[in-house]
Amino acid sequence: MTLAMNAVQVLLLILLAPLVRGVIARLKARIQNRHGATVWRPYADLVKLFRKEDLVPDSASFVFRLAPIVVFATTLVVAAFVPLLHGSALLGVSGDFIFLVYFLALGRFFLMLGAMDGGSSFGGMGASREALVSTLAEAPFLLALMSVAILAHNGSIAGMVQWTIGQSFFQFSAVHALAFMALALVAIAETGRIPVDNPTTHLELTMIHEAMVLEYSGPSLALIEWASAIKLTVVMALLIALFVPWGIASSLSALALVVASLVLLLKIAALVLTLALVESSVAKLRMYLVPDFLGVASALAILAVVFTALMR
Amino acid sequence: MTQLAFNSFLVAMLSVPVVTLISRRWTKACALPPVLLMGSLAAGVAVAAVGFWGGQRFTVDVSQVASFSFALSVDRLSAFFLLLICSVALPVILFSSSYIPRHYAGVRRHWLWVLLPLFLVSMVLVVTASTAFAFLFGWELMTLFSAGLILMDGDSEQRRHNIFIYLLMMHAGAAAVIGAFLLFLPHAGNFREMRAIATLMPPPMRTAVFLLAFVGFGTKAGIVPLHLWLPRAHPIAPSPVSALMSGIMLKTAIYGLVRFAFDFLGGGPSWWGYLVLFTGCVSGLLGVLYAISEHDLKRLLAYHSVENIGIIYLGLGSALVFTANHVSILAALALTAALLHCLNHAIFKSLLFLGAGAISDAAHTLDLEELGGLQKRMRLTGAAFLIACCSIVGLPLFNGFVSEWLTFRSFLAASELTNLSAAIVLPLAAGVLALIGGLAAACFAKVYGVAFLGRPRSREAESANEVSLPMQAGMGVLATVCVVIGIFPGLVLRGLGTLTEELLPGAALPPTAASLSVLLPWIALFVLVPVAGIAAFKRAKKLTATWACGLPGLDGRMEYTSTAFSKPLRRVFSEVYKADRTLDVVPADQPYFPASISYRSVRTTSFERSLYRPGVDAIVTAANRLRQLQTGNIQVYLLYIFAALIALLMFMRWV
Repeated sequence: MTLAMNAVQVLLLILLAPLVRGVIARLKARIQNRHGATVWRPYADLVKLFRKEDLVPDSASFVFRLAPIVVFATTLVVAAFVPLLHGSALLGVSGDFIFLVYFLALGRFFLMLGAMDGGSSFGGMGASREALVSTLAEAPFLLALMSVAILAHNGSIAGMVQWTIGQSFFQFSAVHALAFMALALVAIAETGRIPVDNPTTHLELTMIHEAMVLEYSGPSLALIEWASAIKLTVVMALLIALFVPWGIASSLSALALVVASLVLLLKIAALVLTLALVESSVAKLRMYLVPDFLGVASALAILAVVFTALMR
Repeated sequence: MTQLAFNSFLVAMLSVPVVTLISRRWTKACALPPVLLMGSLAAGVAVAAVGFWGGQRFTVDVSQVASFSFALSVDRLSAFFLLLICSVALPVILFSSSYIPRHYAGVRRHWLWVLLPLFLVSMVLVVTASTAFAFLFGWELMTLFSAGLILMDGDSEQRRHNIFIYLLMMHAGAAAVIGAFLLFLPHAGNFREMRAIATLMPPPMRTAVFLLAFVGFGTKAGIVPLHLWLPRAHPIAPSPVSALMSGIMLKTAIYGLVRFAFDFLGGGPSWWGYLVLFTGCVSGLLGVLYAISEHDLKRLLAYHSVENIGIIYLGLGSALVFTANHVSILAALALTAALLHCLNHAIFKSLLFLGAGAISDAAHTLDLEELGGLQKRMRLTGAAFLIACCSIVGLPLFNGFVSEWLTFRSFLAASELTNLSAAIVLPLAAGVLALIGGLAAACFAKVYGVAFLGRPRSREAESANEVSLPMQAGMGVLATVCVVIGIFPGLVLRGLGTLTEELLPGAALPPTAASLSVLLPWIALFVLVPVAGIAAFKRAKKLTATWACGLPGLDGRMEYTSTAFSKPLRRVFSEVYKADRTLDVVPADQPYFPASISYRSVRTTSFERSLYRPGVDAIVTAANRLRQLQTGNIQVYLLYIFAALIALLMFMRWV
């Protein structure tokens, strides 16, 4: 039963991810006083792309077509580490937060390679910039997760969630505040949102993620787009699970699950609204300011780890 | 029975040079040395496996017949490193069996087949020696044979200078190692007695032993700032030799450090651990940062050896800290991580160097800016190289991840220590390890992306062909091992658990390590099923030209270069590089209408300048001063002799 529920969680994350993207786009449009496309638009895009053919550059090797698959598969694994509706995950094990960080890295590594396989300079440019951002994001990501793990005396994400539920919201420690801020900054960099990267840009010279996928089309592009939608939702779910898990189902009764789903929807809606507001009001950072942005995240994460030891 | 196997392994290894020399005129026998060598290495693998997993001990003692105490003894730790040497050398020799005849003819080829087995034997001596004499004998031979092997590729002025620096630093390191042994020597010449003596030593003496071993073995391992020789010596050796040097020879230094710090001394105060940990952080970060700025493939790989030795030191350092805090279980975890990373690094780094050999064989250059598009031209080499890249970056499902995960776990577990400084410092080291991992990912995305993907950047790269079958087989074997250990780490972890239990009294590998070996196959299944599913789902595909922004077409020169790829990171970490830039505009008075512009940027390793230069200058100045004594005038020399006589007589009078 638990196993089935865990599998359902992963499926939910995968299937609802495009909707989250659609809602963000719609909200941003409304804030910017446009009408905007329907929230179901990402699904239509995916269906359209899956029906098309792959255009493969004549210079490309097998890596070009393998990369989107690896990106998608690693995102699936990452989704399986995060508890969504109840306090366990499909692949929950001690030390799984390290897996989470490194599986994201695996996907990104292959995406960079796929970008360089296109043979144009835009792919290399995107890969080079992604390398900068992801390199500097990895340490604060890991340290922030680690500080929560230290606090919970548990190395698995599901274990951290269980521990946090046991705490009262008003006993929120400084470690939590620091780790949350660090993770929020990292999440922005990791998912390629403003102010680090602009997912809707049309100018190659400012692109990071978009420059990497410039040569992709058809089903390959669909896999990449879907994977990045899942990644965005998973990172949101991770923030929710680690810092505001209250409301998650403690038993597998139907009522508890319905309540948990509604609460989760509310939390995601709040995050989506925040993201839309931030993205509409903040300008993208210059490329060489991104290291400073991530430097702040690293400092916060380091402080979080130091505080775990100081506050025991 | 197994004792006999060990003896015959040694004899077979030593017979290879003899056979090579005897059969050198007989052209049909040119395949004999590699085959014989591979056979003896296979025997070595079997013997080491029995020793490592079965716990069988072997000894060879010739102290009775010889006038010096020379004995070999294989315990579990030795067996692990023996396994590392033999199992990695086997595919490397398989690769060489085709690579060496293709690139070296006549005397050089015979010399290579004489020196290679001797080099391997010297490393076997180092890890199996059980007396100080045998250890130092092997240690010195290892340096000399490797220098000889480097010389096989030519002896231009520049190369001789590099080899000189290599030999110089190795001897300085060996002096420290000999010093560490000498502190035991008046009382004990073999390892068993040394263990007993170490417990009776006063603390300052133990510290002296540790520091000498740390410096001596650190020089061989190539930790920053003693790494100076490494990026000079490794790239100029023949590729299979670079593979052996980087993959195996550096690990003998780790063996030495583990032997001294854990086996003889049994750990020490926690500052030893912090020292090793700090060195590991610095080596790891600087190694990978220097690597990123390189575009010569073998120099880049050499710097990555510095980085990986840093990662191993992170594990060793935390194991020492844990030992000082009397938590043997966590010490076992950290030590297992370090030892496993030794094995993993040996495998993927020798694979990378063999890949570099295959590239230079096919494209006749190792300059990344001249390569590109090799994956389509060298399918198996490219795939093996990609696996090696994933492994060295520490991506999950490849072997590098397993050891890095264990290191991360030991850092996380450190947060439970009651000692406040350890509970702060060790978890923060995880951040350093993550940063190293991220930088390595950027570097190898660059290496593989620039060399193997996209379009060729030169005619040589365009006309590259897949290398010969034995070379492919050698790389294929190593790549397979990378994946197998990455998915089924239990194969090695269980043996390593027993090893650390023997090494650290009261230790046992914690269950988290065991859980990893159960979990990883499932996670691999979880990844591979979707990958296979989507890949099997036939997607319609059409080959097209890449959009060239309206130009007639793209060529290799329009691609992003290796230098351009690393520019953002070099800019962020510009403090580390301290680039020396010169811009010459001719004519200088007309900056806007130049006839020619030349731009040069050289990364100056700041260590070289600020750390070594004063020392070298001081020695040269002292030598110049001393030269004034040598007047060439016979009367003055007679005066010296007379003065020496008087001084001696006075000395005798007082004593």
